[in-house]
Amino acid sequence: MPIIVNLDVMMAKRKMSLNELSEKVGFTLANLSIFKTGKAKAIRFSTLETICKVLDCQPADFLEFSKD
Amino acid sequence: MSMRIDLYFKVLNIVAWIIFIGLAIDTGGYLTNTLWVLLGNTTITSNFWNYINLSDLYQYDLEFFICLTVLLTTIFLFKTILFYLTVSVFQKKKFNLENPFNETIRDFIFNFAFIALAIGLFSYAGKSFCYWLINQGLKMPNLESMKLGGSDIWLFMGITLLIVAKIFKKGIELQSENDLTV
Repeated sequence: MPIIVNLDVMMAKRKMSLNELSEKVGFTLANLSIFKTGKAKAIRFSTLETICKVLDCQPADFLEFSKD
Repeated sequence: MSMRIDLYFKVLNIVAWIIFIGLAIDTGGYLTNTLWVLLGNTTITSNFWNYINLSDLYQYDLEFFICLTVLLTTIFLFKTILFYLTVSVFQKKKFNLENPFNETIRDFIFNFAFIALAIGLFSYAGKSFCYWLINQGLKMPNLESMKLGGSDIWLFMGITLLIVAKIFKKGIELQSENDLTV
């Protein structure tokens, strides 16, 4: 998939674990794991907004487009 | 609401079991009667399974008699398989209304559709065969007593279910997409 999810990089920068992030954004660990591993087919704007708020970043900080 | 749906499924399960057992008995009845005649007991041709009188046909031509009884057995066998599929889906408990689009139900609808089409085609063949025999001057029991009527309904149901199965396939895709949306 040409969209690469770098959530783990952003989480490392913020020194936050997946459990902690899932508690703060209010999503299940399974859903967050689907997103983190790039298995998700779509992401809601509300989800993006929450993650950006919690990690204090921009969507481009954890989403990347690659031509391959 | 959930309890009511559970009750519906339980009642449907019991009805499906009763129909399945009845059809299995009918299939067995046609099969054993045919074998019985082939083994030499020709007296039952006048009082065949479901009280069908096939003595004229038997005296006219044994091959035609076998052809019709095999056709009847096949139709009942397909009907039995149809209800076996229904019963097995109930046993697997795959009817989940919160997550209704799953592979098991899709396969069930596809199989149901193809078997319904097969029943329709065999019933139509049986009906045409009986009309042909009547045109040959034979006295045949009516189609209703042989359960050969309604082939058009089976065909219609088969085609409708094939369309439903196609829609269901799209539903599974949409559900998987929905499941993978975060």
